[in-house]
Amino acid sequence: MKGDTAIKIRDLTRVYRGNSKPAVDKVNMDIPESLIFGLLGPNGAGKTTMIRILCGLLAPTAGEVTIGGFSLRHDLPSIRRIIGVVPQEIALYPSLTARENLTVFGGICGLNGSELRNRIDKWLNIFGLEKNQHRQVGRYSGGMKRRLNLIAGLLHNPQILFLDEPTVGVDVQSKKVIIDNLMEINRGGTTIVYTSHYLEEAENLCSYLAIIDEGRIITRGTLHEIRKENNTESDLENIFIKLTGKDLRD
Amino acid sequence: MRVIFKLIYKDFLVLIRDRGGLAMLFVMPMALVLIMTSLQDNTFKSINESGINLILMNNDTDSLGTAIEAEIIRSNFFKVHREISGQKPTGQDVKEAVASGNFQIGMVIPANATRQIRDRVKHNMDNLFSGDTAAQAGHDSVFIMLYIDPATKNSLRSTLQGSIREYAARVESRIVLNELTREINTRLMMPVANLNQMKQETVFYREEYVARGNKTVIPNSVQHNVPAWTLFAMFFIVIPFASSMIKEREDGSLSRLLTMPCSYGTIMVSKILVYLVVCFLQFVLIMLMGVVLFPWLGLPALMVTGHLLSLSVMAVAAALAAIGYGISIGTIARTHQQAAIFASISVVILAAIGGIWVPVFMMPPLFRSISVVSPLNWGLNGFYDILVRNAGLADVVRYGIWMLLFSLACLIIALYYHRLRRELS
Repeated sequence: MKGDTAIKIRDLTRVYRGNSKPAVDKVNMDIPESLIFGLLGPNGAGKTTMIRILCGLLAPTAGEVTIGGFSLRHDLPSIRRIIGVVPQEIALYPSLTARENLTVFGGICGLNGSELRNRIDKWLNIFGLEKNQHRQVGRYSGGMKRRLNLIAGLLHNPQILFLDEPTVGVDVQSKKVIIDNLMEINRGGTTIVYTSHYLEEAENLCSYLAIIDEGRIITRGTLHEIRKENNTESDLENIFIKLTGKDLRD
Repeated sequence: MRVIFKLIYKDFLVLIRDRGGLAMLFVMPMALVLIMTSLQDNTFKSINESGINLILMNNDTDSLGTAIEAEIIRSNFFKVHREISGQKPTGQDVKEAVASGNFQIGMVIPANATRQIRDRVKHNMDNLFSGDTAAQAGHDSVFIMLYIDPATKNSLRSTLQGSIREYAARVESRIVLNELTREINTRLMMPVANLNQMKQETVFYREEYVARGNKTVIPNSVQHNVPAWTLFAMFFIVIPFASSMIKEREDGSLSRLLTMPCSYGTIMVSKILVYLVVCFLQFVLIMLMGVVLFPWLGLPALMVTGHLLSLSVMAVAAALAAIGYGISIGTIARTHQQAAIFASISVVILAAIGGIWVPVFMMPPLFRSISVVSPLNWGLNGFYDILVRNAGLADVVRYGIWMLLFSLACLIIALYYHRLRRELS
């Protein structure tokens, strides 16, 4: 890492083709390194677009982003070497076994030989998948796929880990294992950028939060700072409703 | 390099885990080539080996009817039938039998046809020797009725009609000359020999299929069909290839790869290498089938001796052209349906204008000029030059280069479109 700030975002804007309204609208933000940053917002607020831009999957329409000291616009290959991504969808090859999936993804991220094997063994063991490691992923339950999806993103021990709703559709047990391990990974120095609809989960997990709505950051800081800014002692859910309103979103 | 190896490992596993799909990648092209070659071979044989069913009703008991019948049988073009369901047919029966498709051709030689010709010759001779050159032929012409199944292809119909006309004309002129000799001998004091002796042919033609290097190549259905249908089958890899790309994009695994230290180009290179092996194996298996299996099935063997290197080079170039086309479709199409429909129909169109079904020289002028833009036409020309015209690698390398350039153009379009989608979508 080249500085104390993991991610610097300046005037980040993204307009989708055919839409006049930006999905991300002039966002400015610094995410310090080694913390868990929660990006929260209602449906269609711009969370996934933000994450996809930060991962290099979408190009920004305007603005500048620096990740780990590397410019997103000019040095994407360097950024790809230091980040890990856990997408919202199960981005795995269903006809490959868990071990084969991890061997492919870990290998592409620079791991090989015994180091790769040991890391795969370690994470399969932590997430309780070692017994099913030789089964094709297509035959896994939803929770098992979700856990493996997470391992595929963090296997290479990235400096910055992006998680887009990593606990959607998993049972309480799987959720607990995922959250506990994310905290453990963070204690090892990994910066985590996390989006979720589960506000209680975010409240417990994240040390720094931002709420985005209609492409704009409407509040950010620690939970304490957000409460202070909004003159309330209530929980995150009430603050969220207060800031984003009660209208249903698409 | 490590990244490309891991991607190849992944693409290889994805391919072999779909055993049904993999089997189809090999079995279906082989079945296509086998069936199309057998069908074409049978059509070829049907003209040359008594395959055309002809129902003949010969009402002329004299020399014209007998001679035409003998000529037709001797030609080996036809399987001659004289009865329908064990009964001698009437003219109407012949017509109906052909109309119902039981026979491809029906022929009715009218009664007294020979006598009519004789009478006509005699009449002409009378006019000739009386010095009356202005006198009209006073006798009716002889009509031999030919009934032809409308389902018969135009080209075959023309061949049949031409052949029968030729036999009839030959027999007729023989009879005319015989009668003329007889009349001359009756009328003149000095006898003359049979005028048919004068009719010995003095102009002959000899045909030879020539190929490069003073080599004579005897074309057959296998040498013509195997390269054409192999090429067609190889291009059908576009559909599973494009579908696999769209599946990877839809399930998010492509996005995951793109967040890792590998570019879209690297991901494509891995796919190209894996599918190139598949295409080449397809080609090798089809060639082996032509060389080994076809003779077992009574088809001519595919002759590839001495051409293995040039055939392999052309196969690799054709495979790269097909894969490049698949990459562009897989990148641009948004859904499986879009990819499957566009890929299958466009390959059929490229094959049609490329000369896979109808030789380019038989196409209308517009299509002849369009055919030169089809990669299947380049591939077909290359394969024909090698297998039928005895060309070497140097003679066909230009076709290979065009196919490689086509592949490269497709790849550039795909990379550009991918970039555009990242920036604009």
